[in-house]
Amino acid sequence: MRVSGLVLVFLALGHLCITHILNNVEVINYAFVAERWANPRTGVLWRLWDLTMINLAVLHGFNGLRQILYEWIVRPGARKLVGTLIWSACIGLIGIGSYAILNFRKDEDYLRRFREANPPAVTEPSLVDTTIPAPPALATIPSLVP
Amino acid sequence: MSTTVRAPKAYRPGLFTRLADGLRSSYGIGQWSWLIHRVTGLGILLFLVVHIIDTFFVVAYPGLYDHTVSLYGGRVPWILDAQGNPVYFAPLRWAFRLSELALIACVLFHSLNGVRVALVDLTPRGALFQKQMFGWVLGLFIVIMLIVCYFVLVPLFHPPVFWNFPTEAVGPPPSAP
Repeated sequence: MRVSGLVLVFLALGHLCITHILNNVEVINYAFVAERWANPRTGVLWRLWDLTMINLAVLHGFNGLRQILYEWIVRPGARKLVGTLIWSACIGLIGIGSYAILNFRKDEDYLRRFREANPPAVTEPSLVDTTIPAPPALATIPSLVP
Repeated sequence: MSTTVRAPKAYRPGLFTRLADGLRSSYGIGQWSWLIHRVTGLGILLFLVVHIIDTFFVVAYPGLYDHTVSLYGGRVPWILDAQGNPVYFAPLRWAFRLSELALIACVLFHSLNGVRVALVDLTPRGALFQKQMFGWVLGLFIVIMLIVCYFVLVPLFHPPVFWNFPTEAVGPPPSAP
């Protein structure tokens, strides 16, 4: 508990800082997660961070829950049942969490449809017209027309 | 530094009485930090289970993940408008923002107090300073939470960020006759 807790202080507070302060829960979506996890350079590091965090957090949390319940539940049979249930939930959650992190692959089709539904914002037209006027078409110059 | 030692109370049956008497016992600051540590830990565990399951949608079904996280921005994913986007409901956005703040507060307090507990346990003379360290925990908690409150609550006064959700994938295009 002490070791996992001390490691989690950095991992979990860093995670909260990234998702809630540097970013915002309203801008986090599939594209955000895909950009983080499937990034060719830093994706491995993010996945390693999340994998460590998920394993330690689930073990730490369920071990704490087990300690609380063991204070109230003292019969050996009941303790065995509670312990079994808690460790099963632990294994299940670590399983689906690790599966999600390790098996993630960018869904290009979904991302394409998402980009089509959210085209980049059109920039405001400038007050000064900087476009170069097109040269007059050849046919409008009288001398060249027979 | 005087501690008041109360006389032991007569035992009275009943869960509520036992809980109330337990909370009124005179163990001092350590009792409260223990209680808050426990309650925040259970709260974080509850969120952790939900968070692992919703992140599983990233792999299982990206569209479902986007609809789920749109809930955090105050949109109701099971009520869609004509364009197939979740409708917006402002009180939901406030509720999720304030719960988010509560979650951050829970994690922050649990972390700081956990460091204090580890120091008390692992250093030989740590237990002598547990009261001062709780003062540091509270002070740091308040300072950091004020900063966090600014970053988390200010977006509430700006219009929400809206994503359009892609329509369902259609099958392969119909072949020409």
